[in-house]
Amino acid sequence: MTFESEMLAARQTFVVECRDLLDEMEHLLLGIEDTDDPQENVNALFRAAHTVKGSAGLFGLDHIVRFAHVVEAVLERLRSGEIEVSTELIGVLLPCRDHLADLVYGAEVTEHATDEQEATTDALLARLAPFVDENGGAGSGANAAEAAADGAASGERDVHLSLRFGADTLRDGMDPLSFVNYLATLGTVQRVRVIDDLLPEADAVDPERCYLAFQVQVRTAEPIERVEEVFEFVADDGDIRVLNPGTPAGAWQDLIDSFGDAGPAVAEILREFGAFDDAAVLDAATAIADAVSGVPEPATPAAPASKAASTTADAARPAPSGQGDKAASGQGDKAARDGRNIRVDASRLDRLIDLVGELVVAGAAASVRAERTRDGSLLEAVDDMMRLVEEVRDSAMQLRMVPIGTTFARFQRVVRDVSTSLGKDISLVITGGETEVDKALVERIGDPLTHLVRNAVDHGIESQEQRLAAGKPARGTLRLNAYHESGSIVIEVSDDGGGIDRDRVFAKAVERGLVDESASLTDSEVYDLIFEPGFSTAPQVTDLSGRGVGMDVVKRNVKALRGTIEVDSRRGEGSTLRIRLPLTLAIIDGFLVGVHGSSFVIPLEQVVECVELPSGVPDRNCMDLRGEVLPFVRLGSAFALGGDKPKRENVVVVESAGTKIGLVVDSLMGEFQTVIKPLGPLFEHVRGVGGSTILGTGDVALIIDVPGLVHRFGDRERARQFEAVAAHA
Amino acid sequence: MAKTILVVDDSASVRQVVGIALRGAGYEVAEAVDGADALRKLDGRKLHLIISDVNMPNMDGITFVKEAKKLPAYKFTPIIMLTTESQESKKAEGQAAGAKAWVVKPFQPPQMLAAVSKLIMP
Repeated sequence: MTFESEMLAARQTFVVECRDLLDEMEHLLLGIEDTDDPQENVNALFRAAHTVKGSAGLFGLDHIVRFAHVVEAVLERLRSGEIEVSTELIGVLLPCRDHLADLVYGAEVTEHATDEQEATTDALLARLAPFVDENGGAGSGANAAEAAADGAASGERDVHLSLRFGADTLRDGMDPLSFVNYLATLGTVQRVRVIDDLLPEADAVDPERCYLAFQVQVRTAEPIERVEEVFEFVADDGDIRVLNPGTPAGAWQDLIDSFGDAGPAVAEILREFGAFDDAAVLDAATAIADAVSGVPEPATPAAPASKAASTTADAARPAPSGQGDKAASGQGDKAARDGRNIRVDASRLDRLIDLVGELVVAGAAASVRAERTRDGSLLEAVDDMMRLVEEVRDSAMQLRMVPIGTTFARFQRVVRDVSTSLGKDISLVITGGETEVDKALVERIGDPLTHLVRNAVDHGIESQEQRLAAGKPARGTLRLNAYHESGSIVIEVSDDGGGIDRDRVFAKAVERGLVDESASLTDSEVYDLIFEPGFSTAPQVTDLSGRGVGMDVVKRNVKALRGTIEVDSRRGEGSTLRIRLPLTLAIIDGFLVGVHGSSFVIPLEQVVECVELPSGVPDRNCMDLRGEVLPFVRLGSAFALGGDKPKRENVVVVESAGTKIGLVVDSLMGEFQTVIKPLGPLFEHVRGVGGSTILGTGDVALIIDVPGLVHRFGDRERARQFEAVAAHA
Repeated sequence: MAKTILVVDDSASVRQVVGIALRGAGYEVAEAVDGADALRKLDGRKLHLIISDVNMPNMDGITFVKEAKKLPAYKFTPIIMLTTESQESKKAEGQAAGAKAWVVKPFQPPQMLAAVSKLIMP
């Protein structure tokens, strides 16, 4: 891999990582006004923005850093309480988050921003300006000025360094020599002298302790600050001095003094280096040395002084850290969860599911063949294998399950945006977010849900005035709820608005010619009319949802997922739209039946019971089921299968959309794990057939789409009756 | 024999970039995703330097440094903390724990290499 391609790969990792952070930011921003403790959100927001900025900096994505820096600065002020959470501020920060996301996603392909993105950056920075501290905004400018000043101060000369390393330097894993070595990157190291005044007798030496000090002369063009920076890691615990030639005598005097007893030796070195040649200072230093040389055990003032300094510094440090700890532990929970997760390419997962599907089919084939052998031990082994295959299937399906909460969370934004633009005050309450759904379903349910949510905000919940007049709180509530119910997942979108106006819906439907004026319909039948194409009752069409398209599209989308949608509504109290979807799209539990030598699979969820077809039923396609009239469909004739009627026929009673019907079949073959294989494009519009599957024997079985079949049969039945009536007349 | 550096950061992109820079400069690089992972990976192997982030899941950088410093094999291993300008207190904590060197995020690879070469000679 070349350097470029490695960096590109790393940048893609960066984009993936940021995606989570950016999602979190949106979530936090939306939640900030509702939470009791906005500080928690602000801290998390700040960390997220900071991490994005940090990683972007790593890749030299300066356009992202520039923008994120200002966002971060605003969040920092929010965090420190200089500014407060306000609707205006969130209103600016949300588009900032979006733009940040846009910039980050762009980084996947290019290191630079487009002109358009730059323009947006500038526009947003202008909007952020009122929230930015005057000094904070000028910060980068000041840095630039500083850098310019540094440049001016440079010029090649001999810089003198006095390095007294802290006693713990070695214990801290740092090698004094390594720093001196690094100096060579800034210029030429001219001379080095070691000062070993603190070195005790050999037997008293602590090998882990650093006793040495150095005097170094470097010829460099770098400014003093750059040279000092080399030693930033040891500056706190040691005594590092970097002096330009021509520095006033006082500083040199201090330097000599700091070495205490060794002062005269240092003065000697300075003279030798030619670093400083004020004879008065140097001579005085040497003279003092002569005078005190007789004093036993001289104190070294430098060491205790620096020790004292570092002790006070240590004591001062831990104090402000309390809040940081709390923030870190809060983040820890989430991060801990993340740590146990791994990312997998969705296509690999799909491949696995596909293979498991094949495995189920192959397993069934093996089982069929094993049965033919009547070999007990083989049958047992195959049974064991099938049980494991079933478990593998279940765990593989589990892999595809994701909590629906993330999809729900997206709607915070939708509700906020739509309600703001309509001048309504609506809060979104999410429950059941942990309910798990097949990932493919989650992706495809997003659009229909968006439509329902917008619709509820737009048409469902009344304006504030209307609400107050009706004695309701001004703030409307929209609820998103999800739960599992007998093999299906149910998603509810409910509002506490005015409910559906039955009469208006009916009137509208009559006006549109959807129903006859004289028709007597139940409430739920009337409500279902809103799913008819071209139906819209909103007197005032807004640009958001009321175009008369939508609800029918929603219904179509839900049906495409093998789901159903129903409405519950109470005048003045609100409505609930309930979407019921199968848990998964790839494998279902089916009920296998045989008809005239062909096999069909009926989704097990829809099977109520199986009964034998009573002999001698009239040729009216209905029978008596414990006193109820049960209409039935002969699958053989529905699919025009040739063949003779067997002696005994069975009826599988299925339930669809609240009505029971019977499917007449020849034989019942029991439950069957059905891997759904979609039909080719040629057949996908065939009503009554939902897909196909491969049986263990290698035969193909069609999967019955019960609602479709009922519809098809109903149509035909009506046509037949019509013909009969016409013939009479 | 190239010198080995352990990079501990929960962000895969940071590990990748730091790894690219260090390998390019001739170091061997080992990676760990958090403090706990890093401790497992220490396992007595010879390391010349450790670079660790501060905020990480499972075990944060400060705790990791404290734990690592307790192990005789790593008593003298220099440690660079990845701090941020807003985390002065964390920097001090890190230093108290034994990570005397630091690089402030956001940094670019040359800054990281500079800090590394101050501590160990390639």
